[in-house]
Amino acid sequence: MRRIGILVFCVVVALLIVIPPMANGYYRSLFYITLLYVALAYGWNVISGYAGYFSFGQVTFFGLGAYVTAIVVTKTPLPWEIGALLGGVVSAAFAVPLGYLMLRLRGPFFALGMLGLARTLQVAANSMGITGGGQGLFLPPGSNALSVYYWTLAIAVLAFAGTWLIDHSAFGLRLQALREDEQVAATLGVHVTTQKVYAFIISAAIPGLLGGGYAWYLTYVNPVSVFSTSIDLQAVAMTILGGIGTVWGPLIGGVLISQISEALAAQYPQAFLMIFGGLVVALLVFLPRGIAPACAAALSRRRARAKPAEART
Amino acid sequence: MSAPLLVVDNVTRTFGGVRALDGVSLEIREGEIVSIIGPNGAGKTTLFNIVSGVLRPTSGDVRFMDRSIVGWSPQRIAAAGIARTYQIARPFVRLSVLDNVAVGALTHERTLERARAAAREVLEMTGLAPYADRPASDLTITQRKRLEAARALALRPKLLLLDEVMAGLTPTEIDAMAVFIEQLRERGIAAIGGVEHVMRVVMKISHRIVVLDFGKTIADGTPAEIAADPRVGEAYFGTSLEEASAS
Amino acid sequence: MHPALIGQLTIDGLLVGGIYALSALGLNVIFGVMRIVNLAHGQFVIMAALICAALFDWGHVSPFAVLPVAFVGALIAGALVQRAFLRRLPEDLASAETTSLLLTFGVSYFMLGLGFAIFTGNFHSVPYLTGSWSIGPFSIAQARLIAFVTAAIIALLLAVVLRYTAVGRSIRATSQSLQGAMACGIDVENVRTVSFAIGSGLAAACGCLLSTIFSYNPQTGDDFTLSAFAVIALGGLGNYAGTLLGAAIVGLAISFTGYYVSAQAAQAAPFVLFILILLVRPVGLLGRRAA
Repeated sequence: MRRIGILVFCVVVALLIVIPPMANGYYRSLFYITLLYVALAYGWNVISGYAGYFSFGQVTFFGLGAYVTAIVVTKTPLPWEIGALLGGVVSAAFAVPLGYLMLRLRGPFFALGMLGLARTLQVAANSMGITGGGQGLFLPPGSNALSVYYWTLAIAVLAFAGTWLIDHSAFGLRLQALREDEQVAATLGVHVTTQKVYAFIISAAIPGLLGGGYAWYLTYVNPVSVFSTSIDLQAVAMTILGGIGTVWGPLIGGVLISQISEALAAQYPQAFLMIFGGLVVALLVFLPRGIAPACAAALSRRRARAKPAEART
Repeated sequence: MSAPLLVVDNVTRTFGGVRALDGVSLEIREGEIVSIIGPNGAGKTTLFNIVSGVLRPTSGDVRFMDRSIVGWSPQRIAAAGIARTYQIARPFVRLSVLDNVAVGALTHERTLERARAAAREVLEMTGLAPYADRPASDLTITQRKRLEAARALALRPKLLLLDEVMAGLTPTEIDAMAVFIEQLRERGIAAIGGVEHVMRVVMKISHRIVVLDFGKTIADGTPAEIAADPRVGEAYFGTSLEEASAS
Repeated sequence: MHPALIGQLTIDGLLVGGIYALSALGLNVIFGVMRIVNLAHGQFVIMAALICAALFDWGHVSPFAVLPVAFVGALIAGALVQRAFLRRLPEDLASAETTSLLLTFGVSYFMLGLGFAIFTGNFHSVPYLTGSWSIGPFSIAQARLIAFVTAAIIALLLAVVLRYTAVGRSIRATSQSLQGAMACGIDVENVRTVSFAIGSGLAAACGCLLSTIFSYNPQTGDDFTLSAFAVIALGGLGNYAGTLLGAAIVGLAISFTGYYVSAQAAQAAPFVLFILILLVRPVGLLGRRAA
């Protein structure tokens, strides 16, 4: 079973490498947006799905990565990839002190604290000189959008693989334990603060790395485009649809939802927000555990029926 | 005589103006089973919270293996060898029974695989093995109590704090739990059990009994001494203690 | 620093703070009873304000006339959100608090999209009662003062309802102890609906009163959620008297930053204050740590 899984994974990745250069502009950008959101959803899933700290401000790091890249590209001769990498590093580094501070807050306090942080940075970007104020920064027109695609593909694959590893590791178990009950986890020997901060760093580095690609892809950054919490909204909706705190959830949800989002975002931005808002509500009420756990349950039922004599492994 | 494993030295803890613990002292040696009895609100849970690092004492000292552990984080105390259970079982409901136990085993096993293997052993010991792969939410109240104990044991503790392990159990289950606690001694694990009722079992399995009331120690001695202590029997336990010692 | 200027900024800040208090009280009633934060709270504020702006444009309808209607409308909408969605959340997904955060996050975006669809993304304001009164060296904007007085009256009414009516007593009882309230035979599910309705109604009332003071578009809703939350983080969750103090502080922060730093900074002042407060005291300035 695991061997088949790895094989499928390799084939899919190979196809994702080979197809886009042959596809037209529309499909190429669809591929890009899908991977972008899948990766963002994986980022959100670590701190919110595994560690149980719901954040509505992970977009902070996405914006940070985008701005770092824009500044690097416009003020230095360095290529955007260096900027994007730097954006990831800056985000991860910023997440260390921020994690120690913010993760003392729980539930609504953490969620709103992060939302407030994203707004604060948005306002800051709006009023500072180096960020170009409300106008933002303009990057040289991206001659090679394909490079952004591959960059994002690489991060999405890493995010998926990383989540798989977390799910199968002691670290992942510790995160899930503290998600369920932080005090009990501590009395069972889990270093709760350290584990939470690690999760937060991962959840900051992923959007941080993605932001730079997005800046290069759009060829501009401004406070509204990269610090918008509707970016988090999409990652949240995708993760819930696919299955929160699961390995496959962000992938399933991200692939499904990006298609709707692409079709709607440009033409009907209001309908887009309403549909996503409504989707989050409907999912929580009707499909709270998401698709992935439902599939897993169905699969294991089928397997149990197919081989009644054989014990499950 | 060996040095005491745990020393609680004149510990006081106040909440607002209320003294939940008022100058409580006690000692426990390796492999010893001590029961702390007292009515609800006597301060048993507060004492467990202080020893396990969930709360800090307002004053006084707690020493474990000759080192003061006041101010240590709960995880450091857990790793040092003090495990606890909670009065109302608090399983990680969405994790499997096995993983619930594996969390504790991670303090001494590096990989998840080895922690799970260690957890399986503990599950065998506590009779939860058949439920290993079920989510903890499937367990009955009694099984949850066992799971509490299993998780604590997975830490390989030297001292186990059992907060109201008997509460809510049927007489048969209480006997099973008593057997379990007596087995701890064979493994060299000391235990402090907090108990509100169930004097019959307490009298049988305890080496020593400490009586708490309104945050103060009002008696500390062998079961026979406690049973003979008129203050304890009459003031706080009515006839149940006499019945208990008679049976 | 000129004393008269400081006095003026203080007056402005306190007046605005008093109006903010209304929305924060609403959020606090909801939190007290349900232990959840309604992330769509600011959307109720902004929806009401946008409706006031639209009606004023259409036929010079006074926002004060819209207020009771908006209040009742939000009452119904709030009750619906609780009855139709919040009550049906599964218990085992995560704690109710965190799942409800996600849900109200969704509701908030639904309302944001609705706001954009109806009112567009343009900024609106109500040019009503634009005059001001002079008292000594100070000038007091009419709209602000009247809105402040109205807010004070509504807050007083809320206090009366909470203290002297059966519904109010059940709300306070449920806030203090869920188990206790259930043991007393209080229909907790009903109390939740009522408090969510009242909380949303207060948000809408606040929106009507603010409609003449600020300019806003649907996007500003989040800011009102955050500032209301900042107020109750300052004043303490479940602490109604503290809410008034918190609102005064937030109002002053907005007015002073607005003058001494920039309008941009004034916008961010509540969030910065909020984050700082939470970092110093994770349970709020006047909050009590749960036992």
